[in-house]
Amino acid sequence: MKILDLVLKDLRQMLYDKNSALFLVAMPIVFTFFMGYAYRSGESSAADPRIPLAWVEEKSPAEMSNMLYTHLADMDSLVITRMELDDAQNALQRGKVDGILVIPAEFDQKVLENQNPQLTLIADTTTATGQSIYQLLRMPISQLMSSFEIGRMSVESLNDPNEFMPTVNLAWEKWASHNLDSIVRVEQAVGQQEESWYGDNPYNQASPGIIVQFAIIGLVTSGQVLMQERKTRTLQRLMTTTMRPWQIIAGHMLAMFAIVFLQTTLMIIFGQFVLNVNYLRVPLGTFLIAISLGLWVASMGLLIGTLAKSDNQVVLYAMLAMFVFSALGGTWFPLEGAGGAFASIGKLLPASWAMIGLQNILIRGLSLSSLWQPVAILLVYALGFFILAVWRFRKVEM
Amino acid sequence: MNAIEVKNLKKSFGSFQAVKGVDIIAQQGEILSLLGPNGAGKSTTISMLSGLIAPSDGDAFIMGYSVTDQPKSAKEKLGVVPQDIALYPDLSARENLLFWGKMYDLRGSDLKQRVDEVLEMIGLTERQKDRVGKFSGGMKRRVNIAAALMHKPDVVIMDEPTVGIDPQSRRHILDNVKELNRQGMTVLYTTHYMEEAAELSDHIAIMDQGKIIAFGTHDELIKMVGEQTRIDLTFNAEVEAIIPAWKEIEGVSGIDASDGKVTALVDDSNQALPRLLEVAAQGGVRILSVDIKEPNLESVFLHLTGRALRD
Repeated sequence: MKILDLVLKDLRQMLYDKNSALFLVAMPIVFTFFMGYAYRSGESSAADPRIPLAWVEEKSPAEMSNMLYTHLADMDSLVITRMELDDAQNALQRGKVDGILVIPAEFDQKVLENQNPQLTLIADTTTATGQSIYQLLRMPISQLMSSFEIGRMSVESLNDPNEFMPTVNLAWEKWASHNLDSIVRVEQAVGQQEESWYGDNPYNQASPGIIVQFAIIGLVTSGQVLMQERKTRTLQRLMTTTMRPWQIIAGHMLAMFAIVFLQTTLMIIFGQFVLNVNYLRVPLGTFLIAISLGLWVASMGLLIGTLAKSDNQVVLYAMLAMFVFSALGGTWFPLEGAGGAFASIGKLLPASWAMIGLQNILIRGLSLSSLWQPVAILLVYALGFFILAVWRFRKVEM
Repeated sequence: MNAIEVKNLKKSFGSFQAVKGVDIIAQQGEILSLLGPNGAGKSTTISMLSGLIAPSDGDAFIMGYSVTDQPKSAKEKLGVVPQDIALYPDLSARENLLFWGKMYDLRGSDLKQRVDEVLEMIGLTERQKDRVGKFSGGMKRRVNIAAALMHKPDVVIMDEPTVGIDPQSRRHILDNVKELNRQGMTVLYTTHYMEEAAELSDHIAIMDQGKIIAFGTHDELIKMVGEQTRIDLTFNAEVEAIIPAWKEIEGVSGIDASDGKVTALVDDSNQALPRLLEVAAQGGVRILSVDIKEPNLESVFLHLTGRALRD
C-alpha cells in the first residue's frame, strides 16, 4: 500500500510540472511527424529510376528530329525533357538532368544531303550514368540514320524524291518491330524491385522509433526522481519510516513506469488514428510491448539514479545510454540494413527488442506468438536492473 | 521501561571513529538533550538511532526494540525530525503531511484528523494549501517537525530543529517540544545552543569528540563546575599568543579564545580578573568589554574540555 502511496506522490509531483506534460506529449508527436517526413522524402527522391536527359534543338523541331525524339521518349530508361541550351546546362550543373542531347540546326538538311548531322551528347562519361546514356542513345540513333540511308537509296533507285519519307518510315518501323521480336530477348537484370523496409507507410518506422526513443529519454526523469529525493532530504526521511529499500525503489520505479507507459500509449493512439500505423493489428502484443518497455526504462533509470552522485551525472549517464540504445537499438534505422556486427551488437540491447517487437506487428505482419521473445527479454532486463538498483541503493544509502 | 537505551554505540568511517562507545538512557516521558559542538558525533549517533546508518558496534533500543535486530518495530515507535528540511517543496503543507502520514500507515479519516491536529499545533492551518516551497524558513521547520509527529510516536528525535530560524519560530518550536512532552512523548533533542538544552531538558548529555563527557540534570552538571565563575572578555585583537600566559595565572582553571573573544573559568573573579587584564596589557591588546557570569552549561563544557562550546 505504501508503495502505491509513493507512486501517487511521484505522479502528483509530475502533474504539477507543466514542462513535463509538454515533453511527455507534444515533443514525441512533433518528432514523429519530422521523422516520418524525412523517411518519405528519402523514398520519393529515389522512386524514379529513369535517367533524366535534356533535349535541345538549335532550331524549331523538324520531322526527322521528331522521329528520334518520339522514339527516345518511349524508352523505359530515359526521361526526356525539351529545354533551351542554357537551361539544360544549368539543369546539368544542378544535377536535375544527367545529360544533354543537342540536335544541330541543320539536322534534317544534312540528313537529306547525306552529310553527317553530328549530334552532340553533353554528359560525364566517366560516370556509370554518363556511360549508360551514351549506350542507350547509340543504337536508336544508328537505326534512325540507317533508315535515312535506306530512304536515300530508295530515292536514287526509283528516282522519285517522294519515296524518301515513306521508305524511311517503313525502315524505322521495321527497326522497331525488330527490336520487339529480337532473337535474343534481354531481361532487365536489376532484380526484383525492393519494397521499402517500412512497407507502404513511412510512419511504420518513424512512429515506433520515436516511441522507443522517447521512452529511453525517460531514463533522465527516472534517474532524477531519486536524485530529487536525495536533494530534498526526503529520501533520508523515507528511510526513517518502515519503508524498506526495495519498496522505495519499487515505488519510484512504478511511478516512472506509469509515466513512460502513458507516453507510449498516447503515441500508439496517435500513430494508430492519425498516422495510420496499425498497432491495433495485434492489440495485446502492442500492449505487452508497451508494458515491458516501460518497466525496462523505469528500472534502468532508477539504477542510474543510484549510481549517479549529482544531477549532471544522471544526465550524463542517461544521455550515454540514450545514444547507444537509440543508435544501436534500431530506433533511427532498421538493424537489418546496418550490417552484421552492428546488428549483432544491437540485438544485445533491450531497445532493439522493443523495436523488433513493434516491427513484428507493423512491418513484418507477424502474430502475437512472435512477441513473446521480445517481451520476455525486456522483462528480464527490467528485473535485472531492478535488482541491481536495490542492491546499489542499499549499499549507498545504508 | 526506558524509552531510549543506547549501549556502547560505536561508528567508524574508514579509520575515523566518529562515535566512540556512547551510552545514554532516557526515561519515558522525559526530554533528553544531546549537547555538543559541531562535529561532536551527535548527528551520527542520531542517524544510528533512526536506522539511517548501521552501528559499527553496540546497539540502541527504542521502547525496548533493537534498532539493529528489530528495526521495523523500533521505527514504528520513532518519529525523526531531521536537521535539514525534508519535505517536498512542490507539494502543499497538507499534501506533505498526508503523504508522511501514509508512510506511517495512517489511512482514511484518522489520517485527515491527525493532519488537522498537527496543522493546528504548528499554527499553519490557514496556510495548509500553500506550497511548502513558498514558506519561510521557520514555517518549513514547523512542518518538518509536524511530519514526524503524524503517527503519534512514543519517541521523537529532533536533530537541531532550530538551526537558522527567526526568534519567533524558535520560540514556537520550543513551545511545541514542551507540549509534545506534556502529551507523554519522549524527546531526544540535539542542539549546540546551551540555552535550549537548559530550558527544555530533564537530562542533558554533553558530547564531545564522539564520547559522552557528562550526563545529568542541568543542576547536576552546573555543580561540576563548583563555585567557579565565568568571565567573558572582548579584546581589540587576536589573543591566541597570550593564552599560555593566562593559563599560568593561579585560579584560572579553563580558558578559550577565538576572534578576540575570551571565556575564562576562574575560582575567584576578584583575584583573577586584574591578573588577566595585566597579562593582556603586556601582550599588547586592549580590553573592550568584561562580563562576569554565573556558571552555565558553557562553563561546564569549558571546565571539561578546556574549549568553549561554540567551537
